[in-house]
Amino acid sequence: MKKRIGVFGLLVALVATSALMAGTLPSAATGSGSAAAGTARTAATTIRIWADRDRKPAVTRVANQWASRRGVTVEVVEKEFGKIRDDLKTVRAENAPDVIVGAHDWTGQLAADGLVLPLFPKKASTAQVPGYALDAFSYGTTTKRLYGAPVAIENAGLVVNTRLARVPKNWADLEKQALAFKNKGDGRLAIAVQQGQDGDAYHMYPFFSGLCGYVFGKNKSGALNPKNIGLGNSKFLKNTALVDKWNRTGLINAKVNGDAARDAFLNGKAAFWVTGPWNIDTIVAKGIKFQVVQVPKIKCKSVPFLGAQGFMVTRFATTHGVTSAAKDLVSNYMLGSGPQVQLSVANGRYPANTKAGKAVKNKYLAQFGRAGQGGVPMPNIPQMGSVWSELGGAWVKATRGEGATKARAAFATAARNILNKIG
Amino acid sequence: MSTALPKPGAGGAAAAARSLPSRLMTAFSGPVGLAVKIVLLGIVNALALWAGVVLAGEGNWLAVGVLVLTTLAIDAIYLLRRGTLPLKFLIPGTIFLLAFQVVPIAYTINVAFTNYSTGHILSKSEAIEGINRNSLEPPADGKTYVMAPARDEDGELVLLLVDEADGSTFVGSPDGIEPLARETVRISPDGVIVDAHDYELVKGNALFTLDKELETYTVPTGGSSAIRPEGLEAALELKPSLRHDEAADTFTRVSDGQVFRDNGRGSFATAAGEELEPGWRTTIGLDNVRRVFQDPLVRDPFVRVFIWTLAFAVLTVGLSFFIGLFLAITLDKKIRFQRFYRTVLVVPYAIPAFLTILVWAGLLNDDFGVVNKLLHTSIPWLFDPTWAKVSVLLVALWLSFPYFFLVSLGALQSIPGELVEAARVDGAGAWQVFRKITLPLLLVAVAPLLIASFAFNFNNFNNIYLLTGGGPPSEDQSIAGATDILISYTYKLAFEAGKGQDYALAAAVSIFIFFIVATISGAAFWRSKALENVR
Repeated sequence: MKKRIGVFGLLVALVATSALMAGTLPSAATGSGSAAAGTARTAATTIRIWADRDRKPAVTRVANQWASRRGVTVEVVEKEFGKIRDDLKTVRAENAPDVIVGAHDWTGQLAADGLVLPLFPKKASTAQVPGYALDAFSYGTTTKRLYGAPVAIENAGLVVNTRLARVPKNWADLEKQALAFKNKGDGRLAIAVQQGQDGDAYHMYPFFSGLCGYVFGKNKSGALNPKNIGLGNSKFLKNTALVDKWNRTGLINAKVNGDAARDAFLNGKAAFWVTGPWNIDTIVAKGIKFQVVQVPKIKCKSVPFLGAQGFMVTRFATTHGVTSAAKDLVSNYMLGSGPQVQLSVANGRYPANTKAGKAVKNKYLAQFGRAGQGGVPMPNIPQMGSVWSELGGAWVKATRGEGATKARAAFATAARNILNKIG
Repeated sequence: MSTALPKPGAGGAAAAARSLPSRLMTAFSGPVGLAVKIVLLGIVNALALWAGVVLAGEGNWLAVGVLVLTTLAIDAIYLLRRGTLPLKFLIPGTIFLLAFQVVPIAYTINVAFTNYSTGHILSKSEAIEGINRNSLEPPADGKTYVMAPARDEDGELVLLLVDEADGSTFVGSPDGIEPLARETVRISPDGVIVDAHDYELVKGNALFTLDKELETYTVPTGGSSAIRPEGLEAALELKPSLRHDEAADTFTRVSDGQVFRDNGRGSFATAAGEELEPGWRTTIGLDNVRRVFQDPLVRDPFVRVFIWTLAFAVLTVGLSFFIGLFLAITLDKKIRFQRFYRTVLVVPYAIPAFLTILVWAGLLNDDFGVVNKLLHTSIPWLFDPTWAKVSVLLVALWLSFPYFFLVSLGALQSIPGELVEAARVDGAGAWQVFRKITLPLLLVAVAPLLIASFAFNFNNFNNIYLLTGGGPPSEDQSIAGATDILISYTYKLAFEAGKGQDYALAAAVSIFIFFIVATISGAAFWRSKALENVR
């Protein structure tokens, strides 16, 4: 009898401790299930936004201005930039964001996955946003749809150290000045543009487009066509003879990686640097006098790749019952000039909204904005993954100095490889 | 031997109390031990309860059942006094084995048989929802409106609409669209409806409780077109470009009557292969395995990459072992500054590997690196396919020789001195002693570590990816660079080729790599058993 009470007491003690522990675990009892989460949210509407560390403060401020006017609350969750895209695929509905801040080149992947919602902003909202910025966030295999609201544009430009060189009048002038500068002493670079052994198709793009190269052609509806690879177009291949010349003269050198390019320019060992607005503060801090221009036209206009950042509405907004509010925030409010000016000031990028663009006070940022005119948004279709390494690799093969592959062969091979990879 | 162990009250276990299991047993039998046990089991039960609630929320009842049974079994095993003793020791190890080995492997195998990749993330029902949503398109002359949700006299939800093109005003309801006198609606300077006669605008939080209703609210405008709200202040005419037939499980394109059927591979597709996005995640059997053998993109560089992987792993382990052993023998003797040398030699091992690799990448840069500057050479360390392989090996050696130095140093000291002395007395030279006595005895201890190190280097992704990124690009027409090993090549296949990310293909290739490593390691272990006879 005594023993039986002992066992019984043991069980009671066990159940009691188990229950006690369970109470301390996060949301154990309140539990999960999308239904529970859905109803809990309607009481006080909350829009959850995923933003990276750099953008979080400004996004929080701007989104709260909208929220207080609408009478809702906003919760901004910090995520590593790349994780915003990747975690969206695996996140549980109750922890998922309604809105994300992301890069335009995610659009194709996220739309193909079905994770983001198409947007149809009213005409008044898009009137001040240039077509190419909207294009950057548009995707579709047959018809294009808009999946995001662009708020910031960034692109590389040619940064000229005006104490060491003049702003080049044209390509020939740039080539002459750069080579003369390089030949003045050891360790000097003609044009500091970063590649490294893996290559860097992004920073090389102005030279690629300057030789009339393009990545993907477009179909009739204006959507990018992954079967039309512009690396192998005959006009470009003909112009690649110039690449062989640049390699011979050392105008461009694949062995210059990001660090080497930056160090050379900051230490006066290069007068020309192809880089983006993220380095403005570094150059200013060094006390270098500089001006930013577009790389001069070579055979075609040497436009840079454009990268746009913006807001997207996820499919979880529907699960959470906040679709209309999330769409109002993204495709109505965020396209306006007011919030874009604030984001631009905080994050040092050129705003997508043209009215906001006129309000940019930072002269270097404005110069970068002008250097991006006519630029090409990085293709946002998922097939772009096959292009980066091939295009970068072709440049490396063709400009690695002694023993370089003939540019024509390097790019033709890359074009064939990309077609094979896309399949 | 110490006899200071406190004797527990339970009788007759005094002799056994010296072995660790018995000591543990006695520690958990007293009242304090019992309390500790209850608390520990309580934690386990609480975790299980929490996991159970989460799983139940997802409707995964099979998992809930397994969880409940397992938890009850664990409680029973540790509470029962008789008959479960061996299990008490086996259970923790088994659980960790399951959690950290079996489950990930099972998951990888499971993924390898699916189409989990970009465009195939959702479930089928979610994908159908997505296709339906994506199929809405503005018709060619579609109108756009400034919109405000409002209630009419009967409290019914209507949409107040202002045509963006000409400013004419309407009221929309599920019955259709009706013109409204322009003065009924007051519009603010920034183009928002702020007030309306006869209608009460929905404002504040009430607006957000309408979300589900607004999501499906349509104002038919003839044909299949309808005005739908977009956000809280806009609405526009939209027309579905696809028709979903639930019974037949097909989509039909309105413009040309093209039919999209479930192609069994997670997409609705036409006979010609045109697919609708998004697709869904589903099981596709052996297709990924087949691709490894049949897709020239995957297959062609496989042999070349495999040979280099093998060479890389064998050379790294072999060379670093011999360097480590050489240094260990050198520093096994009493020399000046012995401790200092030993400490310095361990430094590469103590610095985080990824940091070391990145530093080396900078040092080895062809034109700007310190190595070429110091040596007054211009060796293309990272840009020439052969030299890049040398660089990768150098860095791998730098990172792994201190490990073998430490291990050999320890193993050398455990070799009985009498054996060496006896051999000397019998007239053996230094080399003979090393070859016949030291090395065999050393290998008994070190062989398993060599095998483990081989398996590690076979999949040494960091060393390749951070130093060369698999580059430089190889001259053959493949996506594998000159220094890519199988695992970095798999990464490129999965994330830098084709259309976005292909997790399923990566999983399939990983299984191949697993079998290769398992076979080689298994064979090596079997061979190394022979070494044990030396003792």
